[in-house]
Amino acid sequence: MAASIAPECNDIKEKYDTCFLKWYSEKYLRGNTTSNECEELFSKYKSCLNKVLKEKGIDQMLEDARKSNSEVESEYIRRT
Amino acid sequence: MKFFENLFTYDYSFPAVTLAYFLRYPNPYSRHVLTTDVIDRYVDPKTHRLHTIRLHLKKSKVPSGILKLLPKGMGGSDHSGQSYILESTVVDPKEGWMQSESRNMEWTGILSVVEKQVYQRQPIEGALESLEGLALDDKRGEQTTVKTTVTFRSRFGQGKLLGRKKTESIADHNGEYEDDAPKKGFFSSLSTAGIQRTIELIGVNRTRDAVLKSKQGMNVVLERLRSGGIVGVLEGMRQDREAIVGKEGPWKRVWVRGHHTDDDDN
Repeated sequence: MAASIAPECNDIKEKYDTCFLKWYSEKYLRGNTTSNECEELFSKYKSCLNKVLKEKGIDQMLEDARKSNSEVESEYIRRT
Repeated sequence: MKFFENLFTYDYSFPAVTLAYFLRYPNPYSRHVLTTDVIDRYVDPKTHRLHTIRLHLKKSKVPSGILKLLPKGMGGSDHSGQSYILESTVVDPKEGWMQSESRNMEWTGILSVVEKQVYQRQPIEGALESLEGLALDDKRGEQTTVKTTVTFRSRFGQGKLLGRKKTESIADHNGEYEDDAPKKGFFSSLSTAGIQRTIELIGVNRTRDAVLKSKQGMNVVLERLRSGGIVGVLEGMRQDREAIVGKEGPWKRVWVRGHHTDDDDN
């Protein structure tokens, strides 16, 4: 699995990634789109990650980039 | 502004290609990708589409051609040799498409690179459109096309980027530089456009290579998926990661093993 930018989050990230892969291939791709069994692992991983992003000062840059990204995203959805 | 476009067909089913996309790092062609994190992920309750936002940290050298054009100090020692890439994807497994967008988060004033990809399931004539069609890779012969469009835009020399307040302009990650071109004379604005074109061209040339490498990487992951399932991909990854992390890892082991066989030959 790809490493996290925060080495201290690698363990929880690996658990989450594994959960996601299983859910994505066995449930989501087969039409079961409502289950969210990886939610708890994801929120643990996110809280670990967010702390580090803040420390590194990446959080603000991310927010700005996501703003311009979401404009494009909504443009995509309109077209389809 | 410059564009790069490419159309490619994977000989794998759409579900397999999307899985490989999420699983594509690390692979033998992605040595430059240092880390990958999921920033956000959710299923839209209305459309049932899966939205994912990831942050990649990649090793990147500012090309020497661009470096020469930059004022002293910029792109030099203060450049860490790493860059953040924001990737956003939407998958619709029912309609059989996935769209992704990746962009650089820093240096957008010098060169903003936005890569968009549209993956599309190619239905095979006569194939049943049923839920079974969504199984990972059981339909040999199913294909998935991907259209890649990369847009390069340099705002180099526009607005305050070249101005006195260097630190301020670097802190402005929006890339929203005010255009004060009218104040400049005809010749200086002409050369600015020339520099921008040069920077954009260097970007295009590098991208040709990068797009090829990313396809090769995807194909490795897809092949591992086909022959060994997810376990096969993870095993391959473990080896790839070892090759990156332990600088002398695999080589050292080969060396040690080689010596061992010399010593105690069984």
